[in-house]
Amino acid sequence: MRQILPFAVLAAVAVAAFYIFPYNLAFLTRMTIMMIFVLSLDLVQGVAGIATLGQAAMYGTGAYAAGLFAIHVWPDPLAGLAVGAVAGAAIAFVSGLFLMRAHGLTLLMLTIAVAEVLQEVANKFSDITGGTDGLGGIRMARLLGVWKFDFVGQTGYIYAVCVLFVVMVLLKVVIGSPFGLALRGIQDSQARMRAIGTPVTRRLLASYGLGGAVAGVAGALAAQSTQLVSLGVYSFQLSAEAVIMLILGGTGRLWGALIGAAVFMTVHEVAASVDPFNWLFVIGALVLAVVYAVPQGLMGLPAEVKRWIGRLA
Amino acid sequence: MKFNGLMGVALAALLAGVGSGAGADVVKVGVVASFSGPFAMYGKQFKDAIDAYVAEHGTKAGDHEVQFIFKDDGGPNPDQAKALTQELLVKDKVNYLAGYVFTPNALAVAPLIDQAQVPTVIFNAATSIITTKSPYFIRTSFTTPQVAAPLADWAIAQGIKTVVTSVTDYGPGIDAEKGFAKEFEAKGGKVLDAIRMPIQTTDFGPFMQRIKAAAPNALFTFIPAGPPAFAFVKSYADNGMAAAGIKFLGTGDLDDETTLQTLGDAALGIHTSFPYSAAHDSPMNAKFQADLAKVNPGAVANFASVGAYDGTEALYRMIAAGGTDPDKAMKAVLGASWESPRGPITIDPKTRHVTQNMYIRVVERDASGKLINKEIETIPNVPDLGLAK
Amino acid sequence: MTTLASILMDGIAYGMILFMISVGLSVTMGLMRVVNLAHGGFAMLGGAFTHWAMTAAGLPFVPAAVLGLLAVMVLSVPMERVLYRPIYRMGELPQVLATIGITFIMIASVNLWLGSSLLSIRLPAAMSGAVDLGFRTLPTHRLYVLGAGVVVIGGLFVLIERTRFGIKLRAAVDHAGTAACLGIDTSRIFALTFALGAGLAALGGILGAELLPIDAYYPLRYMILFLTVVAVGGLGSITGSFVAALALGVLDTAARYLFPDVGTIFFYLAMIVMLGLRPQGLMGRA
Repeated sequence: MRQILPFAVLAAVAVAAFYIFPYNLAFLTRMTIMMIFVLSLDLVQGVAGIATLGQAAMYGTGAYAAGLFAIHVWPDPLAGLAVGAVAGAAIAFVSGLFLMRAHGLTLLMLTIAVAEVLQEVANKFSDITGGTDGLGGIRMARLLGVWKFDFVGQTGYIYAVCVLFVVMVLLKVVIGSPFGLALRGIQDSQARMRAIGTPVTRRLLASYGLGGAVAGVAGALAAQSTQLVSLGVYSFQLSAEAVIMLILGGTGRLWGALIGAAVFMTVHEVAASVDPFNWLFVIGALVLAVVYAVPQGLMGLPAEVKRWIGRLA
Repeated sequence: MKFNGLMGVALAALLAGVGSGAGADVVKVGVVASFSGPFAMYGKQFKDAIDAYVAEHGTKAGDHEVQFIFKDDGGPNPDQAKALTQELLVKDKVNYLAGYVFTPNALAVAPLIDQAQVPTVIFNAATSIITTKSPYFIRTSFTTPQVAAPLADWAIAQGIKTVVTSVTDYGPGIDAEKGFAKEFEAKGGKVLDAIRMPIQTTDFGPFMQRIKAAAPNALFTFIPAGPPAFAFVKSYADNGMAAAGIKFLGTGDLDDETTLQTLGDAALGIHTSFPYSAAHDSPMNAKFQADLAKVNPGAVANFASVGAYDGTEALYRMIAAGGTDPDKAMKAVLGASWESPRGPITIDPKTRHVTQNMYIRVVERDASGKLINKEIETIPNVPDLGLAK
Repeated sequence: MTTLASILMDGIAYGMILFMISVGLSVTMGLMRVVNLAHGGFAMLGGAFTHWAMTAAGLPFVPAAVLGLLAVMVLSVPMERVLYRPIYRMGELPQVLATIGITFIMIASVNLWLGSSLLSIRLPAAMSGAVDLGFRTLPTHRLYVLGAGVVVIGGLFVLIERTRFGIKLRAAVDHAGTAACLGIDTSRIFALTFALGAGLAALGGILGAELLPIDAYYPLRYMILFLTVVAVGGLGSITGSFVAALALGVLDTAARYLFPDVGTIFFYLAMIVMLGLRPQGLMGRA
């Protein structure tokens, strides 16, 4: 029951949002995609403890792979997602081979470097990727051959929410499995896990690859919903914002990723529409408030509030 | 490109119905541009220019009341640009769209405006192919080849026989390089070396040394305004290029009026080609700048503001003639000519892009000591050269 | 041969600018162990104050630069006390988040104060122009940066290795608790060191503005560059940052001379190789 309740709440919120904000489905779809992306980061960083500022490498590769696949091979959306997942996992696996040996600042810098190199490669091969102009002309076939992607974005939203659910369930299962427990153990102490015989590097690589697949799915979804892939999919800003959202929500617990993405994007959207010139103040203040008041992220807010009340009493 | 035609028509009817059914005949224009982030200049310039136009011409176009709705895409971010445009179309039910600073942002909304049949005026994005993506696109800015090729002609006329091109290594830079080199070589000039500089570079010393070693009559460059252009111009001056007899030719993006003063003495004597200089000597331009100063004292007129100003003129013409009927509106503006602050312009009915004069300018100090782009030669009626084979 | 000499000369000049801009980060991040992503913010503030002092108050370059430097150092003291002290004990990620938040506030402040356009700092006549070296010329400004870089690294060496302050600092960094028991006022040491780091950032921002021009988004634009120098140099090693800055400067310059088309890729590949060979950085403690 404790496992199912949050999913029921998520479903209710997703449905409610659909009816309360029928004209903002494009924004809600972007938010859902971002949630999936931050989830991938939560697995890599929150659970396995791999510090990264380059998760966009996998997101971007998934986006380009899905975009190119739709244009040149088959415009089926689900097949595109699968291609995005495979591409994301592949790039994570290849880069992970040398990344998983590094730690701390070195690891952060190497993950940044991978994303930057990929961005420059995409810029160089502009005949294939469209370069700065972006990879346009992506057309989507009907979802499962039935539902057309409509102008208002209803199909796109429902599609993205369904993918979010699948990813969420999948990651819940992974985290609860012996593999997930091993990852948590590695985050606490690599030496201890090595001592009890866990193949640490292999486990880390597997988690990085799985996170890459999920990030690739997020990128593929973005490519399908925007129908265009730009070099921005590899940007440092995207990786950094995902990290901000994750820490904001609370790391390691999956739900934190969703809350962080939702809060960050909503605050950004509202602040930017109220005052386009100065919204960065609001984001900065939000981020600082979380670090100093609830270091565990918004997921830790209830416990923190209890502590404050306890102190007052 | 295959769309569900019926759906599009139904949607257009729906949009039209809401537009005229609202009683007091309000026609809405959604403006998507960057109002925040490193490219906030564009949004600010667009807004000032629209305000100036409205202050001068009133809020009515023909019998229709015009209302502008502004949205911030924050930079080159097609996901955001598309989401905002979608929201403008389905929620705010706008009848026209405008703005769009970056090519990927404009390309991302092409399927939307095509489906919804909403005339869209691009105020800036400068890649040739954009207007081919939907018959509802028109553009009032310029394209990079449109700017680069006339400069090559002029260089030949000045007796410049050899150049080294050095452009930033991304789409617009490569467009400029090709546009310039093609024209320059066709007229008998020789490109000694074509350098593509990494986009993140701000240390241009090595490139200057390499250019110097090639000893051309001039260098041609395309480099984005802001930190890179600033450092490039400094580097040109610091490395004694002018003394070595190498002239500086560039597109006017790099010394537009909002950044010109920061370049300082290093910019004196450089030659650029562009459709608009704030120093353009015409009553229309003087009036434009006076109007601009009225709505925002301290506003500086540049290519972005004049692109938006002429874009607003195009919108008013479309709205006056077509109201909420997109095809009537398009018909009203295709082939139309008028006097702009930059000089005479025409919307080419075939490419839906603006045909305009190009000016070769040299950076000088005016009587008050301010740096200006002084126009020294006019190449009249240049169409978009990017799509011509 | 001339090309080689040119590569070395331009490379070292560029590397010295990289060093000047990154050394402050090497102090706060290397010595104090704070992942300080707001480093570029202090550099930008230094440049912004200098720009303001020159344009609005009409001061000449040198007094304006001194003013900018002092303003940043004075500002950094309360910032350290209020914003940084609570995060010393936190993990890397909260530090990343906090210092990014601080960066956002700095950007928004400068944006509100001076706008989003370039904030130019005009050099005095003595520092602009070029010097003729016989086979080529070099911008005079680079010579001043070279000189300043040598003074800074020498000064830091003396300060950290040869003064009482340096001894206390090293003690406080190694083990704050023990140092405090020995009667060292660790919080004062940390405040001073932080101000030193911020001041160096401002100095780098001001002197490097010819190559990395100041604007409101400066801290985000060059964040990766600063971090690269410190990571390649090795955390906690100022000499390492120095060597790394020069090495990266020469490599990047060589790439620009020899194969500009793949310049960016080359820079990051060089970084990947260096960090792959020495994950602790060139001079980092293993």
